[in-house]
Amino acid sequence: MATQIVMDQTGDTRHEFDPGNAEALARAERRFRELTGAGFTAALRNGPGEVTRIRSFDPTAQETLFYPRLVGG
Amino acid sequence: MFAAVWLRAPARARLHALRELYRRFFGENTPDARGRRLLAEWLSPAQRAQFDEHRYFDVVGCDTGKTYRIHYGTAANVHEIDGDGRAIMGWCFVPSGFLVPGDVMLAQKIALETDERGAIALANRFPPATHSEHFYRRPF
Repeated sequence: MATQIVMDQTGDTRHEFDPGNAEALARAERRFRELTGAGFTAALRNGPGEVTRIRSFDPTAQETLFYPRLVGG
Repeated sequence: MFAAVWLRAPARARLHALRELYRRFFGENTPDARGRRLLAEWLSPAQRAQFDEHRYFDVVGCDTGKTYRIHYGTAANVHEIDGDGRAIMGWCFVPSGFLVPGDVMLAQKIALETDERGAIALANRFPPATHSEHFYRRPF
């Protein structure tokens, strides 16, 4: 199972899906586009503490994290 | 076995045990606790050890190689530090939407490690002496 983690006011919301299921994969890709279109940043974890930003959906990603647009505090 | 011990326990002890169970269950499922768990999952082992000990962790900016110290908090919690660990500038940038501290800190780590210039470009500077270490060490 792969997971999309979306930061929100509850801490986070996790969406799990089977990457081998074409319909679930399409839903995950749609969610990716909606979130990044709304200003969320997507990041992958490559190893312990190693992170990469991504700008397009990666169907092989096991764990994708989304955080809202950054603003100056 | 458990049931036998449970039934022999005085009512007050049973009530105390139930309260403790309730406190632990809900205490570990608060947004704040979930944010800290997510942060811990995404930190490197060194950052996690540093955070466990000091409630802050250091990250290296991907563009300049500068070191930033991210303190537990949701605003004015990022300091650029020198080689001796002294804060030389504060940078304030946060994800929008009133997130919990663990989430804010993780977003700041990812931003500095993957797009330092972008994060610094939108951040507001502040003098690093604005908050004392005591300010950041309030209990979770």
